[in-house]
Amino acid sequence: MMANVKRTPRPLTRRRSRPPQLDYPLLICALGLLAFGFVMVASASMSIAERCCNDPFFYVIRHAFALTLALGCGLAAYFVPLERWERASTILFLLGILVLALVLVPGIGRSVNGATRWIPLGPLNLQPSEFVKLFAVIYVSGYLVRHASAVANQIVGFIRPMLLIGVAAALILMQPDFGTTAVMLTTVMGLLFLGGASLLPFAFLIGTVGAGLIALVIFSPYRMKRVISFLDPWQDPFNSGYQLSQALIAFGRGEWFGVGLGNGIQKQFFLPEAHTDFLVSVVGEEFGLIGVVALIGAFVFLARRAFAIAARAEALDKRFAAHVAQGIAMWLSLQAFVNIGVNIGFLPTKGLTMPFLSYGSNSVIVGCVAVAILLRIDATMRQLAIETAPKPQQGVRWARA
Amino acid sequence: MVDKPKSRRVRPAPAPPPAKPNFQLRRRLLIGALSGAFVLLCGAVFYRQVIETDFLQTQGERRYLRMAEIPARRGVIMDRNGEPLAVSTPVETVWADPRKLMTQLDVLPHLALALGFSASALREKIETNRERGFLYLKRRVSFDEARNTRLAIAQYKIEGVAFETEYRRFYPGAEVFSHLIGFTNIEDRGQEGLELAYDNQLKAEPGLRQVLHDGRQRIVEEIEQIRAPRQGQDLVLSLDRRLQFLAYRELMSAVKKNQAKGGTVVVIDANTSEVLAMVNQPGYNPNVERERGGNGGNRRNRALTDVMEPGSTAKPFVVAAALERGLITPTTRFNTAGGVLKIGSNVVRDTHNYGNLDVTGIITKSSNVGSVKIAQKMDYAALWDLYDRLGFGHLTGVGFPGESTGRLRHYSRWRPFEHATMSFGYSFSVTALQLAQAYGVLAADGVKHPVTLIKREPGKAAFKRKSVRILSVETTRKLRAMMETVVSDQGTAVKAKIPGYRVGGKTGTAKKASAHGYGIKRYQSVFAGFAPAGKPRLVMVVMIDEPGGKDYYGGLVAAPVFQKVMEGALRLFNVPPDDPQPSMLLAHQGEEEPENNTP
Repeated sequence: MMANVKRTPRPLTRRRSRPPQLDYPLLICALGLLAFGFVMVASASMSIAERCCNDPFFYVIRHAFALTLALGCGLAAYFVPLERWERASTILFLLGILVLALVLVPGIGRSVNGATRWIPLGPLNLQPSEFVKLFAVIYVSGYLVRHASAVANQIVGFIRPMLLIGVAAALILMQPDFGTTAVMLTTVMGLLFLGGASLLPFAFLIGTVGAGLIALVIFSPYRMKRVISFLDPWQDPFNSGYQLSQALIAFGRGEWFGVGLGNGIQKQFFLPEAHTDFLVSVVGEEFGLIGVVALIGAFVFLARRAFAIAARAEALDKRFAAHVAQGIAMWLSLQAFVNIGVNIGFLPTKGLTMPFLSYGSNSVIVGCVAVAILLRIDATMRQLAIETAPKPQQGVRWARA
Repeated sequence: MVDKPKSRRVRPAPAPPPAKPNFQLRRRLLIGALSGAFVLLCGAVFYRQVIETDFLQTQGERRYLRMAEIPARRGVIMDRNGEPLAVSTPVETVWADPRKLMTQLDVLPHLALALGFSASALREKIETNRERGFLYLKRRVSFDEARNTRLAIAQYKIEGVAFETEYRRFYPGAEVFSHLIGFTNIEDRGQEGLELAYDNQLKAEPGLRQVLHDGRQRIVEEIEQIRAPRQGQDLVLSLDRRLQFLAYRELMSAVKKNQAKGGTVVVIDANTSEVLAMVNQPGYNPNVERERGGNGGNRRNRALTDVMEPGSTAKPFVVAAALERGLITPTTRFNTAGGVLKIGSNVVRDTHNYGNLDVTGIITKSSNVGSVKIAQKMDYAALWDLYDRLGFGHLTGVGFPGESTGRLRHYSRWRPFEHATMSFGYSFSVTALQLAQAYGVLAADGVKHPVTLIKREPGKAAFKRKSVRILSVETTRKLRAMMETVVSDQGTAVKAKIPGYRVGGKTGTAKKASAHGYGIKRYQSVFAGFAPAGKPRLVMVVMIDEPGGKDYYGGLVAAPVFQKVMEGALRLFNVPPDDPQPSMLLAHQGEEEPENNTP
């Protein structure tokens, strides 16, 4: 150990000559998704933008602005040390809940299409539920580190974090935002599961949440209608099944290789929300099965990368970092799964963006921050690995971990 | 070796928790579940994009594929100088998708205002067609309506209302040409006149194409052309717009002045028998929708569809037939016997007692008795043969819808009195064009050219083949000289005189036959003639139907119209004067005047 400590100046000098140690495949994957998303938003939104705002670049310009902002936020997040996140985890989440409550205060929150999800902030609209997903991951990760044994052995250890999460979930449901709630709850439960929570309360909670969701669908008629439309959009293709049937037609038109970028027809006033929640169906139409599978592949790659980072962190006993990486992996892949699932009629229709791709500044910003945190964890772990590795040669071999 | 597991079992007993959770297994489980989800997702995408694609594309095509017409333009009808007489101009038709309008009923009043409907009528129209995806709101809208509709669509964000290009037929000649040209219906097919007769040539067949349209019904892309559009072919008429306008104006004022029921003027080119002008009264304006309806009286091209008894205008042919056979010469004298001639129980009368007249005098004074006496020198067949060959009782071959053949009974069924009346233009009927055609034979030195409404290409063989000689050059020249005396101070049509030109012609005043015979005083006043008489260029027939004033003689009612129109026509066609007046001679001193043209 002593020998290692003495060696530290050497890697430092080497680091200066080399580019910074980063998970470049992950970075390239995320940047690629952002770039692809930009192109697709442009393709999908031009005709809509020309109609609504007399400017075909209306959404393109705003999305470019959001991307710039997101990359800036991501860069800033990269420089925040992990300890800072860990220390602030509970505060951040409480703050998130507070803002979620603010959304529901009349006069502050802004409603679009019957959903109150935004707080207008000058040129931007803040959508706190997007941020709360990230904060929930950080909060639960911190909790798992602080109360590891309680989580593993006592039901209280499971229930305590779920109380706060439940409050947040309730607030998001009141917006209403069914999709975000589901993604957040599933992510949190996945984290608790990975964090070693005992299985019994876990199974019980899954049961209750499941029953709750079903009850909600039954007692909330508009959701009921949505569920029915998702089961068979061709029953009523001009009303409740309209959006989904149009999305499915987009996929059907795409076949194997798609009709080519910009050649899609469904985005031309057939498909509502083509540039936001239903962007993937535009991808499906213009790039075909190959395009959609590549997109799914990108998210699988992203998740694998994140889980690999988590595994390295765990190997170095950085449990907070490991949990955060796992949480982000689950959250992003789940959200992509739900979004694509909705697009292809696999899951009931609900408003959930495609991470990195969809139009909407909040979603893009949070996505970039999440990737920045992943990169930061990775960089920290590399640094640690180099510092703890007995020999520099071995220090390169962590990759398998 | 045996101890080891024991020691492990002992350690957990004092420590509170049971088995430490198997993190690796949990991670694998979770990652496995996620992987499974994504595999399932890929499967679902595969199902939609590869297996279900046909169904989905069919569903899509029902939404965005549409057959659209490629508009094609109906041929233009023009006069001999290329002036347009019937043109198709692009106009816009507004159509709607009632299913879409049903979701925005609040904008209907604005739309109704723009299109000039009442709001309730439009609403009812939309509601009764609520299940349909296509409905013509208004076809061939005016420029203002189109603009207002566009404004309304932009202002109220109306969805499901779109425009289509159609052609509207417009007739610059209006009532002046309406009888000849007719009109088309809303489907752009000919309904009357030449529009109907030449519909196959004129008609445009719109092409058909399959197009992609977007959610707002705008065409985004053409998939394939199913049928190419066929543009209509243009039609060049033999008519001259300037002459037509002149003839129409003069006819209209004459009809008005004489309080007549109607009238007809036909002008043909003596050399080619092309119809240069053909006008009728009363008229109608084909550009006005409601004038196209009605009983059809105003719409008849009377020059072709209505028959008249030619009256005295037939007398030159009787003389021609006798001259051809050498039975008479222009100076052969006949005793008109006090202007009364008994044939069986019937009596032929002259208006005055002309006493002893030569053949020229019979024409000049229009003696009925004289022409009967000439006719009686021939058998029935001789007269019938000439009439038949002149085209009486036959279609002229212009192919005009509803053209009348006129009526000429075969000589085998003639009775003696009929033979007599035939010689002064009764007992058979002709159209104005037939009469003009027959006068054209006199003007063209005895050759009958087929009349036509279509411009003749000069020197075309087909035209010459169809021309037949009917009378000898001598006969026609003698006749023309006799007919010049009609337009003299001694003749019946001094009012047809045109300064500077020698004019030949013949008046006719036919009593109109009705169900009660010839009893009531209803006349058709006719003048048929040509100019210049030496070498005629133009032939004209003027008929005024039932003049209501005190005048009804052809020389008083029809001849002035002939004079005015023919004077203008000669000037329009740059026909040199063949009878220059002294003042004109002074102006052209030293120049050789075309006197040598005369026979």
